[in-house]
Amino acid sequence: MREAARTFGELLERHEREIFAYALRLTGSRADAEDLFQDTFLAAFRSWPPPRRDNERAWLYRIATNRAIDGSRRRRATLSLADLRLAAPERDGVTPLDLARAIRRLAPGQRAAFVLRAVEDRPYREIAAVLGCSEEAARTRVSEAMKKVRSSMR
Amino acid sequence: MSGSTAVAEARERLLARARSEGLATVAYDRIDSPVGPLWIALGPKGVAGIHFGAEPSEGELRRLVRLYGPGIVPDRRRVGPLARELDQYFEGRRREFDLPVDIAGLSPFHQRVLRALLRVPYGAVTTYQRVARIAGNEKAPRAAGRAVGSNPIPIVVPCHRVIASDGTLGGYGGGLPAKRLLLELERGEAPPGGWPKRA
Repeated sequence: MREAARTFGELLERHEREIFAYALRLTGSRADAEDLFQDTFLAAFRSWPPPRRDNERAWLYRIATNRAIDGSRRRRATLSLADLRLAAPERDGVTPLDLARAIRRLAPGQRAAFVLRAVEDRPYREIAAVLGCSEEAARTRVSEAMKKVRSSMR
Repeated sequence: MSGSTAVAEARERLLARARSEGLATVAYDRIDSPVGPLWIALGPKGVAGIHFGAEPSEGELRRLVRLYGPGIVPDRRRVGPLARELDQYFEGRRREFDLPVDIAGLSPFHQRVLRALLRVPYGAVTTYQRVARIAGNEKAPRAAGRAVGSNPIPIVVPCHRVIASDGTLGGYGGGLPAKRLLLELERGEAPPGGWPKRA
């Protein structure tokens, strides 16, 4: 594992792209993603240093996920094409728009589970760490989210 | 709009908030120069560091964190004034730097040596011996040499203007080709026959 970031700049330069992309996937809109991105890094800066035992990347994802779940943000209905390309890679004939709509219909906790597994392809161990639950609970949440996304895209 | 532009804009707004909360202490950027890429940093009291290469050394980063805390952030806008002064210097349009340097945190002797360097005018050269004398320790040219050699703000604190008393170039943290280039930039040309090689 890489040495933990020693400055805010190191943390930012290492993870800003993936955290922004993750925020886009979670929120579905550029404006909300930007808020979530800022909140995540500011929270990380305020609670510096990164936890020693933890992977700093999982730490950031956990902050972003919790912020997305806690925040009662109003998600906007408009999405630009550029946002969508970043937010939802095309797969199996599903258009980014279909997928983004389906993701947006999920509850925040399920949305995080779905994005981490189906879009980011992360191991359950890491998803559990981000969501703060057991691996088994993470599997359940992902499978429920998958079911919902499948049925809403039918 | 491309993804990287979106991230860059998000970063800029994040940094504005971090600044307003007092979380960002030092701004840094990487610039190109005739002596290669430079990592440059501007702190609350002036120029905090200049490093040859795109990344600061481990020791340099530790020093900055010890002095300014972890709020060291990539902030092109804030570091702009320093980048502009350096550009003007490399274009031969600037002979002195207006931005103050922040050398607090170094030992008193180290600070005296660097202040002595700041008094060496553009285009002039001096020797380690003379720097030691101005810094108040004439008998310690080696210690002065080490202090010059560990200058955290090269170019702005002109350690390149210090040469050995036999007229050879001496050493340079950025490498001798960089030192030669800076001296030729300031003095117009090398001495007849070039800078003498160390015997």
